[in-house]
Amino acid sequence: MDAIIVRNLRRVYKSSDGIIKRKVKEVVAVEDVSFEIHQGELFGLLGPNGAGKTTTVKMLTTLLIPSGGSATILDLDVVKDAGKVRPRIGFIFGGERGLYWRLSALDNLRYFASLYYVDTQVARKRIPELIELVGLQGREREKVEGYSRGMRQRLHIARALLHDPQVLFLDEPTMGLDPVGARELRTTVKNLQSANKTILLTTHYMFEADALCQRIAVINKGRIVALDTPERLKENVQDLSVVEVEVYGMPPDQIEKIKTLEWVVEVSLENRDQVQVLQVHTPKGAEAIPMLVENLNGLRLGRIITREPTLEDAYVRLVGGAK
Amino acid sequence: MLHWILWGTDMMERISRNTRIFFEGAFYSYKALFRWLNPATYLASKVLAPLTIMIFFVFIGAYASGSNNASFYVIGNSLIFAASSGIFGVTMSVGGERWTGTLPYLFGCPANRGAMFIGRAFMHILDGMLGVFIGLGWGILLFKLDLSQANPLALLLTILVTTFSTSGLGLLMGCLSLITRNVMLVNNTVYFALLIFSGANIPVEELPAWMQVIANGLPLTRGVACARTIIAGGSLTEIMPLLKEELLIGIILTILGYFLFKVFEIQAKKLGTLDIF
Amino acid sequence: MNQVQKNLRVMLLAFEVEMRQNLTDGFVIFGILIQPLLVALMALWMLKGKGPDYAIFVVVGSGMTGLWTTLLFNGGNSITGERWTGTLEPLVASPASLRMIIFGKVLANVAQSLGSMIGSYLLISTILGYPLTLARPALFAVSLLVTVFALVCFGLILASFFILIPDFARMVNTLEFPIYILCGFLFPIALLPGWTTPISYLLSPYWAAQALHGAAQGTLTTGQILADWGWMLAFSLSYILISGKLYQVILRKARVDATLDIVGN
Ligand SMILES: Nc1ncnc2c1ncn2[C@@H]1O[C@H](COP(=O)(O)OP(=O)(O)OP(=O)(O)O)[C@@H](O)[C@H]1O
Ligand SMILES: [Mg+2]
Repeated sequence: MDAIIVRNLRRVYKSSDGIIKRKVKEVVAVEDVSFEIHQGELFGLLGPNGAGKTTTVKMLTTLLIPSGGSATILDLDVVKDAGKVRPRIGFIFGGERGLYWRLSALDNLRYFASLYYVDTQVARKRIPELIELVGLQGREREKVEGYSRGMRQRLHIARALLHDPQVLFLDEPTMGLDPVGARELRTTVKNLQSANKTILLTTHYMFEADALCQRIAVINKGRIVALDTPERLKENVQDLSVVEVEVYGMPPDQIEKIKTLEWVVEVSLENRDQVQVLQVHTPKGAEAIPMLVENLNGLRLGRIITREPTLEDAYVRLVGGAK
Repeated sequence: MLHWILWGTDMMERISRNTRIFFEGAFYSYKALFRWLNPATYLASKVLAPLTIMIFFVFIGAYASGSNNASFYVIGNSLIFAASSGIFGVTMSVGGERWTGTLPYLFGCPANRGAMFIGRAFMHILDGMLGVFIGLGWGILLFKLDLSQANPLALLLTILVTTFSTSGLGLLMGCLSLITRNVMLVNNTVYFALLIFSGANIPVEELPAWMQVIANGLPLTRGVACARTIIAGGSLTEIMPLLKEELLIGIILTILGYFLFKVFEIQAKKLGTLDIF
Repeated sequence: MNQVQKNLRVMLLAFEVEMRQNLTDGFVIFGILIQPLLVALMALWMLKGKGPDYAIFVVVGSGMTGLWTTLLFNGGNSITGERWTGTLEPLVASPASLRMIIFGKVLANVAQSLGSMIGSYLLISTILGYPLTLARPALFAVSLLVTVFALVCFGLILASFFILIPDFARMVNTLEFPIYILCGFLFPIALLPGWTTPISYLLSPYWAAQALHGAAQGTLTTGQILADWGWMLAFSLSYILISGKLYQVILRKARVDATLDIVGN
């Protein structure tokens, strides 16, 4: 059974600009997006900044009205039956806003428990459990304004679980968490899925999506460009291998030149500390190394390796370009 | 010799840089104002709000004495409008940084704090003067205010100095806005304190002695007195001593505000409270 | 829990949360409590010529100015404030009614500003030594309760205007004094030109001020005060009825215009 069904969803933002004459500008944030998420599935929504992930999630959580298309959650329409959808879903948006900073974690949770009509007795038991779950025990009576970014993020998660929703929307839940915290959170998410919750997760981290999600939709410029299991997405690039070259001071026009080479499928450039890492996707494998070096003459080069493509490479190929 | 030339060019560079920072500050606080207020609402609040305040005090005055002494309240409250721009406008342009979360960047940048700071106040001084003219305009239109005896130059000077000194208070309040969530209520309180103590609505001589002491320490009090004297036909030399004191108060407040800004900046960096709100 | 209990709990918690937030901000308390004291002092001096009996008139009138200012600045901002902190989205996405939440929040603000009326009472009676006696204490107390209810209902409408009319928030400063004038807080509206009287009659703070002044000074009959309550209650009921539709409209509009959060705007 499908817990979430999205059909041709579209969302346009209007924003005005200018002081005297306010010009209205339209941004199409989401265009013709369709997918379904099965009951109990952990579904990933992946895409670069501004791809439309948050917009999609906000439409599904009844916070934005779609400009076109439709979506249902547990067979309830997110616009017409918004009132019935709300008690059944929980959500968090990455970041630190959306909490009462002048109150303690405990007070924040108590307040939202009442807003979700959680029975007082139940809330009294569940709130300490949730605080324990997200690892805020011992600090729960302090004001949120004194929390670190990660602590606030975890408080958001506790809040989203207060009413034990069947469907969860997690928009960049690990944003701002340290590696250990992020790993703990991924375990939590996994456990939630084992508890048969349907989860939509957005993230920028490929390995996170790879490790957690049963299926992944890649969204770019408001459109879904791929939707499959992580394994199948990787197969898309299986015929290729990746050559990584450490370079120093790569001029942009040289990247463009390499892109045009016949044996090159995709190029990306990543900045790491002192060096830049040039990644070239090619069907030629190790054979490509001398040809590539020839095209990089005059540049100081570091380590050169070839490796199997990862999900990240598949993603880079899908959304294209250097990042 | 070369040393002096280098020093001179360095100096020139610093002056031009700071001038730029000054005008950028002025420009951005102007832009912030108009992002917040579109021209129509700005005019409405600039023209209508003063009128309602004036009416309120003129009627309390009429109720109290049974006679019509509108000019007293009209002059007093017109100058209060200068304070209103000074306090609310300047606070918004400093406090706005906190709400938009740009404060850490502001504190992080190497720009000269003084130029940045005073640049922000500059537009609001012009705005405040406009407020005084509008107030007096309403007085002439509706409350038979008579300006025929007034020396226009002296009046203009009085208005300029008073607006300056109240925006000094605004800078001080603006700094407070960096540490409170709800600065508008604080501002309102200061504003009401000025309504009482400045002599705008109650003659300072009628206040109890301890309140007179406060009144004499605040900006605006002397400005109101000068304006009344001039409109009654007094000369510039007559008001000069008071006007100089008003100017001095303005300078002291601006310097105080500047130092508080610095202190807060250092404090915030030390305590890491930059984006707490 | 039935629906009434659920709503009551939401309202109470919203009340508590707002109260706590205000109490942790010393400046808010300062504003809520001190400003009316300043108005009281000023009015006391301005109306000195009217004799000591006027002290109670000043206490009540300046208290009303404080109530209105708090309602306008804090109560009116109830929704917009949540929007700034990013908490409006979770509030709207919760099953609770936003109206109940706002009612609780506005009530907290109005209740706090009542403290200032008590403050100016104490200041003027004990420190400044004016004789302050309430002519009809029981009627005054009930009038105060009705006033609080009426103002909170008014605040409910006001808060929605901040969302519905984008320029409204920018005009709050313009709205502070007209109500002081039109509602007879510190001088009788008989002094105003006749054409403004019907406007006063449409404002529940006018009836509130009349009932409170009348009960405090003993200048109105019981029947007249009852009539004032009647007006306030009638207005409150219509505000509550209107607010149902109004909140639907503003919430829908905010979800269409993407204005539930400030980010991106
Ligand atoms: N309130 C708004 N008003 C106008 N445009 C908006 C608004 N919110 C988002 N947008 C625009 O819509 C597009 C999609 O934004 P969205 O926040 O959905 O992206 P995202 O995939 O969540 O990005 P990120 O990874 O950076 O969070 C962007 O171009 C953005 O500028
Ligand atoms: Mg996003």
